[in-house]
Amino acid sequence: MPSWSSIASAIFSLDAVYVLTGLVLWVFAALNFRDRDNANRRGSALFWFVLGVVFIFGSVTPHWLTGLLVLLMVGLDGAGRVGHKAHAEGTTKSGQAEPKGTSLGNRIFLPVLLIPALAFGVALAFRFVGGDTSRGALVGLGFGGMAALFAGLYLTKGGAREAFAEGRRLNDSMGSVIVLPQLLASLGVIFAASKVGELIAAGIKGVIPGESLFLLVVANCLGMTLFTLVMGNSFAAFPVITTGVLVPLIVRPFGVDPAMAAIITLTAGSTGTLMTPMAANFNIVPAALLNMRDQYGVIKFQIPFALTMWVLHVLVLWLMIRLL
Amino acid sequence: MPEIFKLAGVLIVVVGLALRLRTTLVVLTAGLVTGLVAGLPLLSGVGAFEGVPVLTKPGQEGIINILGRAFADNRLMTLFIITLPAIGLAERYGLQEQSARVIRRVSAATVGRLLITYQLFRVLMGILGIRLLGHPAFVRPLVFPMALGAAESEAGARSVEALPEKEVERIKAGSAASENYGNFYGQNLSPVQAGILLVYGTLNSPALGYAVSLWSIVLYAIPIAVLSVVVAAAQFFLLDRLQRRRLAVAGREDAHAVVE
Repeated sequence: MPSWSSIASAIFSLDAVYVLTGLVLWVFAALNFRDRDNANRRGSALFWFVLGVVFIFGSVTPHWLTGLLVLLMVGLDGAGRVGHKAHAEGTTKSGQAEPKGTSLGNRIFLPVLLIPALAFGVALAFRFVGGDTSRGALVGLGFGGMAALFAGLYLTKGGAREAFAEGRRLNDSMGSVIVLPQLLASLGVIFAASKVGELIAAGIKGVIPGESLFLLVVANCLGMTLFTLVMGNSFAAFPVITTGVLVPLIVRPFGVDPAMAAIITLTAGSTGTLMTPMAANFNIVPAALLNMRDQYGVIKFQIPFALTMWVLHVLVLWLMIRLL
Repeated sequence: MPEIFKLAGVLIVVVGLALRLRTTLVVLTAGLVTGLVAGLPLLSGVGAFEGVPVLTKPGQEGIINILGRAFADNRLMTLFIITLPAIGLAERYGLQEQSARVIRRVSAATVGRLLITYQLFRVLMGILGIRLLGHPAFVRPLVFPMALGAAESEAGARSVEALPEKEVERIKAGSAASENYGNFYGQNLSPVQAGILLVYGTLNSPALGYAVSLWSIVLYAIPIAVLSVVVAAAQFFLLDRLQRRRLAVAGREDAHAVVE
């Protein structure tokens, strides 16, 4: 008979949360499949079903199979088979249902606040029993999502069907964009395995003497920001710069705390995101949403802020390495 | 092949996004091309694929394998899907309307004060690990109209048309920027947000092999987050001052025009 502690550690594991997330995705897939108003219902349903498979079995399936499943998902999306598409003759549109008249007031925040509360709470509990608090926060996020659902159902007297229909609406409104951070991080890993970072590092070493910490910090932040400017996203740039430049040129030779150096490098990338039209969702779409004359108006406003922040990133990173 | 050709993937992303092709497809193509240019095989030569020519190379991890491994490792970043039914239900029962009511209660006398207040609200959402599409949900329907209202009442103008168009454009840009500033730097203050999870996953991956805690990453995100609020506040208050000066000049010119 398995011991209580082994049962508990199986329930409060990251894999359990992955499985729960996968099951939620399967419900979204089923709801998509049953939506006869959507000409894309089969493609959409398959996309979310496959993502659910990756979530549930991703820790045990061989990597080549997961890789092929990702190819299938991207193929479906690339062929325009994911997302809502009305039938040629149909005029129905699936949008958000009218919000129900509410007398809940600020109590509507309670279920939502339960999510971060449990993320912190479970992390604390893990600390108490000597577990990994990082994993605790993620397990807490998973169980927080479930607890918030039950609390919400109790509070609103709504039904589970309604909750999953609304969850699916949110999910579908983001569509394939949901997996983009995960996919960009994977792209960064492929870039890193292709030694793109070493290429950049070689360029840096060619112009900067290895012993100048300040210049290396400048080069690291500049590389991260430029790479982000070009790619429109710091998530793909980060693994490349970290494995190719930050760790071999700064963290290892100078004995720097990797957590500190890495997060400051990531946000140095964010200053690039503020300045590039390639990050359309943050810079171009809002300009359109606000009917601005100049589609680059948001970027132009952000440039002085971003440049100031960039200089501060260099100074903070350099100072923290020197002082800590 | 020259080393520099490895940057083909970067070029594919630039061109693909500029042509507004499907982002997922562009990203994946860039990965496959970069791996092939670097001489990586498509598949690892292990198990059933051992010794398969063309597709595999002995001792090298295949691109598809790397893709699958990285995608599975980074499931952390998409874990928030589990919260969607709860958030969706709360939205159905007025989450956004109630948030709007709370924001509207803010009585900020100037554009700058309103924008920095919204940014702080956005940072708070980040700390709580709550993801928002802030531009359509808050900036367009709420922050911009409120900022415009603040500018009008300060200028003593009676209608939207009375504010010079250039000023309105600046207020629009500032409203969108306050969302981006708060979102980008606030989200790193929670251990369950994508950026922190990316750093955690990358440092803890076998390639680097550091044992780093999520909480230490969050801790080191604080200085930059604080600075982002300070720098933004400076920019927004400068916007207020310049606006006041420009409107005063415009007002005097109007007065002259009336006298003449």
